[in-house]
Order: sequence, then structure tokens, then C-alpha cells
Amino acid sequence: MTGATTAKDEGFMQQGEPLAAALPWLEDARALEKPAAGWVNALRETGADSFAHTGLPTPRWEGWQYTNLRPLAKHKFHYDPAPVNFDAAALPAPLLADAGRVVLVNGQYQEKLSTLPEGVEAASLMEAAAQKWPGIEDQLVRVGDLAQTPLTALNSAYLKDGFVLRVAKGRDIEQPVEVLYYNIGAEKDAQAAPAIYPRALYQLGENSGLTIIERHMGQGVYLANSYIAAAQDSASRLRFYRFMAESGDAFHFSNTALQQEKNGYFEGFSSATGGAVARQEFRLLLIDTLNSASIGGIYLLDGQQSHDFTILADHFEEGGKSAQHFKGVIDDQARAVFQGKIHVRRSAQKTDGYQSHHALLLSAAAEASAKPELEIYADDVKCSHGATSGFLDPVALFYLRSRGIPVDDAKDMLVESFLNENLEKVSCEPVRDLYRAQVSAWLAGRRK
Amino acid sequence: MLEIKNLHARVDGKEVLKGIDLTIEPGKVHAIMGPNGSGKSTLSYVLAGREGYEVTQGTATFMGENLLELDPEHRAALGLFLAFQYPVEIPGVTTTTFMKTALNAIRKKRGEKELDPASFLKLQKQKTAEIGMEPEMLKRGVNVGFSGGEKKRNEVLQLAMLQPKLAVLDETDSGLDIDALKVVADGVNALRAEDRSFLVITHYQRLLEYIKPDVVHVLADGKIRKTGGPELALELEEKGYAEYTGQEEAA
Repeated sequence: MTGATTAKDEGFMQQGEPLAAALPWLEDARALEKPAAGWVNALRETGADSFAHTGLPTPRWEGWQYTNLRPLAKHKFHYDPAPVNFDAAALPAPLLADAGRVVLVNGQYQEKLSTLPEGVEAASLMEAAAQKWPGIEDQLVRVGDLAQTPLTALNSAYLKDGFVLRVAKGRDIEQPVEVLYYNIGAEKDAQAAPAIYPRALYQLGENSGLTIIERHMGQGVYLANSYIAAAQDSASRLRFYRFMAESGDAFHFSNTALQQEKNGYFEGFSSATGGAVARQEFRLLLIDTLNSASIGGIYLLDGQQSHDFTILADHFEEGGKSAQHFKGVIDDQARAVFQGKIHVRRSAQKTDGYQSHHALLLSAAAEASAKPELEIYADDVKCSHGATSGFLDPVALFYLRSRGIPVDDAKDMLVESFLNENLEKVSCEPVRDLYRAQVSAWLAGRRK
Repeated sequence: MLEIKNLHARVDGKEVLKGIDLTIEPGKVHAIMGPNGSGKSTLSYVLAGREGYEVTQGTATFMGENLLELDPEHRAALGLFLAFQYPVEIPGVTTTTFMKTALNAIRKKRGEKELDPASFLKLQKQKTAEIGMEPEMLKRGVNVGFSGGEKKRNEVLQLAMLQPKLAVLDETDSGLDIDALKVVADGVNALRAEDRSFLVITHYQRLLEYIKPDVVHVLADGKIRKTGGPELALELEEKGYAEYTGQEEAA
């Protein structure tokens, strides 16, 4: 993994002929207007070139053994740069009454629907690039090895939509900011469906603090393939909460990259309930000393859903602390994937790394796959991991029923019990309650 | 109240109960004593309806209904309560939530009105105080981090809250020191009533010093071998179970 290198540094051009299967995916990129900033264009070209030579990953790829992208072939996905038509009144209401809000519809930043607390600024990606907001070029081209991340390469080829949000140095923003990624897709059985490629950047100035609530939702069939970067300057604090509740016919791939300078604090959490096939990738890069980054999540899957959490915690320097806590519930023929890696570089002494994944199977056909990985080059570190999967405990179920609790309520209670332990890692109480409500709603929905 | 006739049951394909006959009248305390492996816990699980306990013969009638046909939750609503030998830990669900769900589920099934949150909390507060449980513990996950004595006390709290017609206490004395044992016994004694019966299952006579039984049965090798008054417990304490098992056993 070459987490800290940039596509630009590598300056590569792929060898050999482009793959025929990859080219249809790049057709619409030619229609993009050339923007003023040269780096945007360069990244598009690098992305397109890389994707042309790799195509989509197949199960033979390292890291893609468990999530199969073949269902994407049922549709032909098109990118449309024209402003999307939508009814603003039909958008979901904010989750928290007092939160700031940023709205993106099909990846396009909606300035008029966005309201931000004082101390926070936002602009569309192209606007921020044109105005040369400091740092964004570096932070946005730092995408890792594109040949290993074809979906990020594809997102790069279509670099246009999305936004940048920045918090000024020293500002501690109390009001959370909700970022709504709302996607409008095609009818369920449509051949052609929209491809959506947003790129977002959250910039936290030195010693600043922010709470973000991301919601990924939509209707119908679409491909949402996003790249989301968070750049934390020294001693900044970011709480990052996500609700991935895409349409049940949609495809969601997000690659979220966090980069922390010295003394940063990051608390991430994501819930996955939506999408037909989805993967949320998080790369936590603790590039300087004394950083703390935790990422947790829950998933609630049923039907034929397939969801994948792929996590990397990469420790570069001394005294870093990272934790990965994942738990989920799988019903019907759904499948869940957890791939978690802790990478400790030679100079990252006194690293404390933790990782856990626990899956609860509600049906015999449900499937959980876990691939924990520890790659450690420093000698004075503390790293541990644990993974389990299993069914509901029959003794606990009997205990509840023997107290008069009907079997379905008892099962729900045990599912909540199982997930609550992870939800307690969410330090922001109103958000923890939202996750709890989401679990209850999911359980109630199963009964119908 | 409870009438068991010729009850046979299998666990993992092995016959453990080999023809139990037992009748419990309202307001009575029956004790079942017996050596390890005699079928005591199996009897309690069969009565409460645990999966994997297969009844092959016989009947059990409770409050006029065929008990063996009912789900565990229906048995509870009908007034059967099993205090577990090893109460289960349920992290992330507080005792309060658990108690409220259980009590209201039972009330609903009985056609009674569910308790509103305020009335429920008032009732729970009163019962918790009577049993001498720390109110703080109600906010923790069910039985999580509880000592053996605290878990048993929590069983008695549930008993007091749910007000069953018949409470089966499965080795409630196991793992308890004498102080914890007294607390549990006091809690049970406070619940004795004309229309409430108890079936106290134990290996030792010790618990029966504090919960005075009306009738004592000796269960060995899946059958009730002898029935008598409280004096039978004392006799067992002295002589052990050797005469029922055909082998010497250290008491």
C-alpha cells in the first residue's frame, strides 16, 4: 500500500493496450469541459488512463475476493454533467433540527440549499479549485495507487462534482453539519442509469473541531462512486458519522481517506443499511506523531444485499492509536464483508492498534466473510484483533421468552443488545440515538 | 395448579425423565431434592418449555391448560416463572428495559392494560427496595458484571415484578454465600401467598432452612422416589442420596 504517495508523484503511464471492457465506462468523460485548474485536468487524465488499463476489479483481485461487481453489468451507467432536475421540497428533512446542512444531488453541490454555521465555509469543487483554496490540490490528488483502486481511478476520470468544506484555524464548531448526498436514479428495470462521481474534501484547520453527519440516500438505480477526503491539520478534532442508506437497487462505492497531521483526533462511525452492492472503504493515514483515529460501524443487511467494509489504519510515526470496531446483522441471503488492516511502519513505535469484527447471522443462508490483517514493522507496538460470527444465543432467547417476551420481540432485543455495544462508541449522543432509531426501524421493517 | 402425570423426556436422545408424577396445590411450597444428574434441572426446563427438551410421554396441566403445547412466553403469561440456575447476561439492554418489556408483554397477553412508564418505574422502585437491590444496577445491562448473588437477587426481582402463579426455583442456592442465600429466601418468602405456589429445586437442605417447604420429594434417576414432609429434607442431609442411587455419595 502506498498510502501517502500521490498519483502525480508516480507520474506513471500504464503500459500495454487499454482493456476493451473498461472503455465504455470512460466514454462520457470526454464530454467534460476543461476547467481552469491544470491539476484537475491532469488528475482526470491519470484516472482515465489507469482505469483504461485495469477495468473494474474482479474476484481474482487482492481485496476483491468477496465483493463481486458483476451485478453492475445489468445496467449501462452514464455520467451527465448537466444540472440535475429535482424537487427540493421532496428531499429528506434534516436529521437534527439545529444542524448546518450541505446538499448534493447526484453529486452536484446545491449552494442554495446549504446553510453553514459560522466558521465553516463551503464551495463546489470546481469553484474552490478556481479560487485556488489553499491545500486542496495536494489533498485531492493524494489518492493512493490508482492501479489498486480502479473505482477511485474512475471517480478521478470524472473529477468535477462534489465540494470542499473548510473550518478555520482554531474554530471549534459545536453545531454538527449534515451532508446529504441524495441520488436520483433510473427506474428499477431500466437499462440506462446514472453514474455519480462526487469528490468531497473536509479541511480542518489547526486546532479546529467539527462534527459531520453524512447521509447517502436515493431512489431507483444508480451508481454512486465517491471519493471523500478529510485533511486534519495539527491538533484538530473531527467526528465523522455516516448513514449509508442508499436505494436498495443502487450501487455504492465510497473511498474515504483521512490524513492526520500531529495530535489529531478522529472518531468515525458508519451504518450500512442500503444498496444492492456496496463497499465503504476507509483509509486512515496517521502520518505524524500522537494521532488517534477510530472507526466503527454497524451493518443491517437482508434480501440479496452485499456490503463490504474495507479498512486500513496506517501508522507512520510514533505514539499513534487506532481502533476499528465493526458489528453487523445479516438476514436472508445477504452477505457482509469485513477486511481490516493495521499497518505499522518501522518508525511508528508505541503504536496501539485494535480491530474487531463480529457478525450475527439471522438466517442459515446469510454469509459473513472477514479478513483481518496486521502488518507490523516496528518492534514496540501493541496490536490485537478479534473476529467472530454466529447465530443468536438460544439460551438468551429462551431466557427472554421465559419472562413472557414474545419470540420476535426477544430476537429484536438480542439484536439490539448485540449492536448497542458498538453504538456506545459514538460519543455524540443525538447521533447515537439516530443510529439506535435506525436499528429499531430496520427491525420493525423486517416484521412486515 | 400444576399436575404432572407420567412425564418422560429426552435430552440429546437420552431419556432423563422416566415417569414423573407430581401435583402442586395453590399456596404450597414443594421442594425437589436429588443428586446431580437425577433430572432436576431437566424437569424445570421441560416445564418452562426450553428447546431441545423432548417430551416423549405423559402430560403436564397448568392452570387447566396443556402446558406442553405452549410456547415459553405463553407459559409465562399463564403464570409460570423459572428462576434460572445460571441467569443469562444481556449486554446493552438495561434491566429496566427488560423488565418493562416482559411485564407489559405478560399484561398484554392476559388482556390487561400495559403500564405507562411512570407507573412502571414506581412499581419497579418499590420492588427493588423490598429486595434490597441497588437501583443503580437497573441501569446496567441485564446481569452484566453482576456477582453470583446479585444475579440471583435479580431473578427474585423479576419474580416479584411478574407475580407468577407458580415459581420454579432451579438451584437458586448454588454459588451463594449464606448472606446472599438469606436475601434470596427473604425475597421468596415475602411472595408466598394463598394463590401462589413454589417448586424449589435443590441439591442441599440448606436453602430449605430458609424457605420452609410443605412437601419434599426425592428425585433420582428420572423418577420421584419418595415424598414426605420437611423432615425428609433433614433425613437426606444426614444420610445423603445413597439409598436412592445405589451408590455412596459425599454430601
